[in-house]
Order: sequence, then structure tokens, then C-alpha cells
Amino acid sequence: MAAAALHDLSGHDAVAARYHDVDAVYGETRDIRLLGFVFFLLADCVLFSSFIFAYIYLRVSAPAWPPFLNGHQLPWFDTSFAAMNSVVLFGSGVTMHFALENWKHLNKRKFYGWLIATIALGIGFLLGQAHEYSSVGISWAGTTMGASFFTLTGLHGFHVFIGVIYLTVLGIQVNRGVYTGSKYFGLTAGTLYWHFVDVIWVALFFLFYLW
Amino acid sequence: MHAGTSTHDSHDVADHIHPPAEGFVRKYVFSLDHKVIGFQYFFTGLLIMLIAGSFAELVRLQLTDPKGAIMSHQAYNVMFTMHGTAMVWLVLIPLVTGALGNFVMPLQIGARDVAFPWLNMISFWIVPIAALILFSSLLFGGPHAGWTEYPPISLADGTAGALWCLSIFTVGISSTMTGLNFMVTIIKMRAPGMTWTRMPLFVWATFATALMNMVATVALSAAVGALFLEHVFNVPFFDPARGGSAVLYEHMFWFYSHPAVYIFILPAFGVMSEVLSTFSRKPIFGYKMIAFSSMAIAILGFTVWAHHMFPSGLAPWLQIPFMILTYAIGVPTGIKIFSWMATLWGGRIHFTTAMLYALGFLITFSFGGVTGIFLASVPVDLHEHGTYFVVAHFHYVVAGGAVMGFLAAIPYWYPKATGRMLSERLGQLGFWLFFIGLNGTFLPMHWLGLEGMPRRYASYVDFAKAHPDGVFWNQFETVFSFMMAASIGLLAFNVIWSLRHGKLAGINPWGARTLEWTINSPPPYYNFKKIPQVFGRPYDYDQPLPYRNTDNAIEPFPEYGKVVMPTPAPVGAGA
Repeated sequence: MAAAALHDLSGHDAVAARYHDVDAVYGETRDIRLLGFVFFLLADCVLFSSFIFAYIYLRVSAPAWPPFLNGHQLPWFDTSFAAMNSVVLFGSGVTMHFALENWKHLNKRKFYGWLIATIALGIGFLLGQAHEYSSVGISWAGTTMGASFFTLTGLHGFHVFIGVIYLTVLGIQVNRGVYTGSKYFGLTAGTLYWHFVDVIWVALFFLFYLW
Repeated sequence: MHAGTSTHDSHDVADHIHPPAEGFVRKYVFSLDHKVIGFQYFFTGLLIMLIAGSFAELVRLQLTDPKGAIMSHQAYNVMFTMHGTAMVWLVLIPLVTGALGNFVMPLQIGARDVAFPWLNMISFWIVPIAALILFSSLLFGGPHAGWTEYPPISLADGTAGALWCLSIFTVGISSTMTGLNFMVTIIKMRAPGMTWTRMPLFVWATFATALMNMVATVALSAAVGALFLEHVFNVPFFDPARGGSAVLYEHMFWFYSHPAVYIFILPAFGVMSEVLSTFSRKPIFGYKMIAFSSMAIAILGFTVWAHHMFPSGLAPWLQIPFMILTYAIGVPTGIKIFSWMATLWGGRIHFTTAMLYALGFLITFSFGGVTGIFLASVPVDLHEHGTYFVVAHFHYVVAGGAVMGFLAAIPYWYPKATGRMLSERLGQLGFWLFFIGLNGTFLPMHWLGLEGMPRRYASYVDFAKAHPDGVFWNQFETVFSFMMAASIGLLAFNVIWSLRHGKLAGINPWGARTLEWTINSPPPYYNFKKIPQVFGRPYDYDQPLPYRNTDNAIEPFPEYGKVVMPTPAPVGAGA
């Protein structure tokens, strides 16, 4: 899609000259979209923070953790499995980084390889989480522990799921030749999003499994 | 993309042609033009205001008799809940941020549109959907726990409560996206030369509002989202019987909803700075202090939420800091009030409708601010929290502050938006009706509250026995509340009548100096033929205009199609 200049800056020759430069115009629109995307991630971060606050509040004010349901204390999470699954997700952050670096170095084949690896690891993480959900032994609607655990990790899992679709769409766009070596804003945004989802998981992992 | 031809002729810079929108749907329904979207917000907000206002009148009619005059107690609960919910989320936020922010802000910074026109269109269309969801809850009996919908009592609302959550969640998404859009627009798209300290004060206010919209609204979405899950899937977050915490909901709710009152009031502050300066023909007093106090309010606004929760049994070591911070937020607000009064001092004051509303604002808002300082004090709050004193305080701030500011903005920018003046005679009559009606309705509520009249009660037989004058004052309030309603009705008539019969406005009917007054009324879809260059503040009435390239209004624009508009591209994808 043709990007457009945001300001007609003629009348001031030096500035006007800069804006006749297509790359400068592109840089301007790219800045605007990047800032918008970063703000979106910031707002998303507040969403997670609110639920994390709710979880900490409920946990600190609970008489016992894990809480009791019908006279039985709920089981603890399978921390070692979750740790392995976390490695899968963090690994996907690394592969995504390599994918973008290879794009910047105009190595399209390697880019595809790393992107597909990222998508595969993302799907692997989701499968691992599905396995954990089925074997964790607590339910969403039962206690505050289930409520905060399933809501937060589910929200995160939903973000990973959206991320997998996002990266797939980016791969298709690359295949169609949407991006060039100097104009690849979508890839930057996708990478930022993926790293953001990773970072959220760091917080969730500490708060649920190691605390 | 085609490389622009490199000449000095201003019209040849375009490298992307963006023709005017064609067809009714593109022009007026799914328009990308920030001005049309502003109009859409305006009419939607005004329509919902008439509905939510009639709910308030039903509430007032009920209270003319201590036993409850016209409806069942259950219906009364639904009425005041719907009144509060609709007014806060579907009237005030769309009107002050949606309508004013959208129409005025891009014009004042010399931009051709907001940063993400598509996002802007989607943000608007979410609002009527949220309104439909909210009003559809009436079919299921309606929510009845008050506009805050505190659990566990709201958990008894069933489907209606779930629809309430869904509606607020949806409108929250719209607010967040609008906030994001405005933030990026103001940061990145100001005309060249318009540094931060040369921005009009309305833009500063919009910036502070957008920051809160973007950050705080998501916390509300989380709160009502969790409440929705509790309604629909029985997930225990807030129900104390199942280990949840009702106080947690209050924290999550007020973390947004306290900033929300600043979201209403800051744009009104911005309007005050423009209107008072224009009609005093004097530079605004204390530009930097007004601008920075907007930001101070926005930031401090995040640190005072728990003052709504003093009666909930908050630990004393938490109450004291929240009390002190709440006092502290009075300081930037006071700075603004005194700066505006100093702006008036020695000015050549023109008593137009907009100016009357602005002067009325100074009185009523200061009044509401002072009672806010009373309520910030923990002992006073514990005493008054459940009484009409809080209702009086809140309505002085919101009706006497945010709505007054908005009513000042309508006659001020209506000529720019439509090309015609609003009728001054009807407008001034409307002001006196509103001002007298407002004080007549809400001033006695202070006295009733101090005597101990409880809020949110459908009947007050015991209170009326102890204080026989309470019945008289309640009936007095009801009569005056209809004066306010008449004023809003008159405004709606005036807005529609003047579209056809108003005097032609011309480019700058008020002799104001911000950028929107340098272009045609109504502005063309591209706003500025050339993006102006700014080299000063817009308030120095003794100086020549601080702009270059503002010949837009003088000669007709030679050719369409050479205008560079913001890309209507999605945010996250595409090169």
C-alpha cells in the first residue's frame, strides 16, 4: 500500500526538500504507526497488570493458598512441566529475533525458516498449555485460585493464539511481496508483539509457579 | 508510492492522492473524516443524554413523595442505575472526548486528520452498539445496583448485569482506542513550529485526557470483564461467599473511575481556557501553569482512587495517604481557577452565550471542587458518604463542570462546524434556565445530605418524619430539575434550527486566534490547504497572528486531489 506524507511542509525550502524524499515520508508514517503500536502494547500491559493485581490481592487476602474446596486443599501446579513449556515459549522469542535479523540482512530463506520455527514453537506452547489445563486438577469456576490462574493464563494463551495467526499472516504477506528490505513495518510490529507476549509470560511464570 | 516532484510550488508536494469521500455511506455513515466523526459522537451523545436525562427526571418525580410517588422500588433502582451508567459512559465520554476532541483537536494542531482514521471510525461505531447493549438490559429487568454495580449485590442482576458488563467493556475498548489515537496524533502530527508550549490549551487538555483514556480504561475493562465472567461462568473473583473479594472490585473499578471524572472535566478545562481568553480579549494568564496542571491532574488522578472506598474498611495506614493525595489534587485545579480569574481581570469581556457558560462554570465548578475537599477528609467522608451530600458534590462537578464546559463549547465551535451562528437569544435563555435549574436542583441536596438523607433510597419516610422540611426541598429540586431539562431541549432545538436559519458565521466570528479560525467554516475535508507554520502561542492578542501559510480561507483551492492525507492503513500490518 502506498504510504502517504502526513504534512505538506512546503513553504520552508529545507524542510520541503526533506519531505520530497520518499524515505523521509515513509519514516514519518512508520514513526506514527510504531508509536501507535507501542501504545497498544502499553494498554494491553495494563490489562494484564489489572488481572495480576486481582490475583495478588486474592492470594494475599486468602486464609490459605492453595485454597480449600469442600474440605480438601487444592493441588500445586506441575512446576517442572510449566518450566519446560516456558522454555518453548522463550525459545520462540529467540527464533523470532533471528527471523527479523535475517530479514534486515535480506536473507529471505533463513527468515522463512526462523519464522516457521517461531510459529511451530508457539503452537507447541499452546499444546503444552492445553495439556496442563487438562491435568492441573483445579477448575475455573471452583475457587479464586482457579479463577485467577485460568483467567490470566487463558488471556495470555489467547494472546499467543492471536500471535500465531498474526505471524502466519505476516508470512503470507512476505510471500506476496508486501515488504521490502527497507520497508517492513508489519514485521517489526509482529516481532514486538511476540516479545511482549513472552515478557508477560515471565511475570506469570514467577507469580504462579515460583511464588 | 510515487516520488513527489521536487518544486517549490506548494501544491505539488503530494505523492499520494486522496480524493474527497463520495457517496452517502462513505461521507456520513462510515466516514473517516474526524469532523464528521465528531458530529456523529455529538448527535449520538445528545440523543442518549435525552434518554438518560428522562431517567433522572423519573427519579426526581419519585422523590416528590417520601413514600415514592410513581414507581416500584425495584424500578427506581433500575432508573438511577441506568441514569448514572448512560450519563457517564455513553453521554459524557462521547460528548467531551469524542465530539469535542475529534472535531477541535486536529484543527487546532494544524493536522488534516487524526493519526489513525480507521481506528477513529471503529471507535465511534462501538458507542451506539454499547448503547444498544446497555438499553437492551431493560428487557431483562435492568441492572439495579447503581452505576458502580458493586458485587455481591450486582451479582443478583443476572442477565441484565451481564449485559451491563458487556456494554461497559465495549465502550471501554472505544475509549482506549480513541485515547491511543489522540496521543499519537498530538505527539506526532502537530504543525511545524508548534512546540509543546505553543499548543492551544484545549490540546493540552485533550492530551492529558487521552493519556488517562488509554491507560485507565483498560483497568475498568478488566474489572467489568471479571464481573462478566462471574455473572456468566460463575468464576469467583468478587463473591465473598466463595473466597472472592468485593473490595477488590472497588479497587479495580475506581482505579479507572476516579480518573474518569478527570476525563470528563479536563476537556471542559480546555474549553474554559479558550473561551475565557477569547471573550476577555486578553492573553491567557499562566499558560505554562495551566498546561502543566492538566498533566499534574492526569498523573495525580491515578493515585487517589481509594478515597471512594473509605467506608469499605480500608486500613487506616492506607486512608491517610489517599486523603493527603486527594487534597493535593486540589492544588493544580486551584491553579487553573485562579489563572482563569486572572485572565478575566482587566479584560474586555464579551457576554456571549459561550462566555456566560464559562463564567457559570467558574462558579459551579469551584463550588463542587470545594465540597470535594470536604469529602476527601476521612472523618467527613465516613459521615457523608451514604447521603445526598455526595450526590450534590458529584453533580456540581459533573453537571456544573463537565456539562457546563461542554455547553460553553457548543456555541463557541458551532459556527466553525456548520458555518452558521447559534441563536444568541435562545442560547442565553438556555444558559439562565440551566444555571438556575442546576443550582436549584443540587444546592438543596447539600442541606438534605447534611441532615442525613440517604442516597439511592426509593423512599425516605423515616427521614421525612425527622426532617419535615425534607419533603419541601425534594419537591423544590424536582421543579428546578425540569428547568435544566428545558434548557437541554432548547439547546437541541437551537442546534437544529440554526443549521438553516442561523446567521452566516464567516471564518472567524469571535476574533479568536487558534488555528481552526484561519480556515473556512465549515472546514473542507482536508482542513488546511497548506499546513501552516507556527511561531508563537495563540493567545497574544496584542501581537500579529503567529502563523505563516494561513491563506487557506482567502482563495478557493485550485484543484482537489493534490492533498496529502494520513494513510488509512491498519496499525499492525502492512509495510
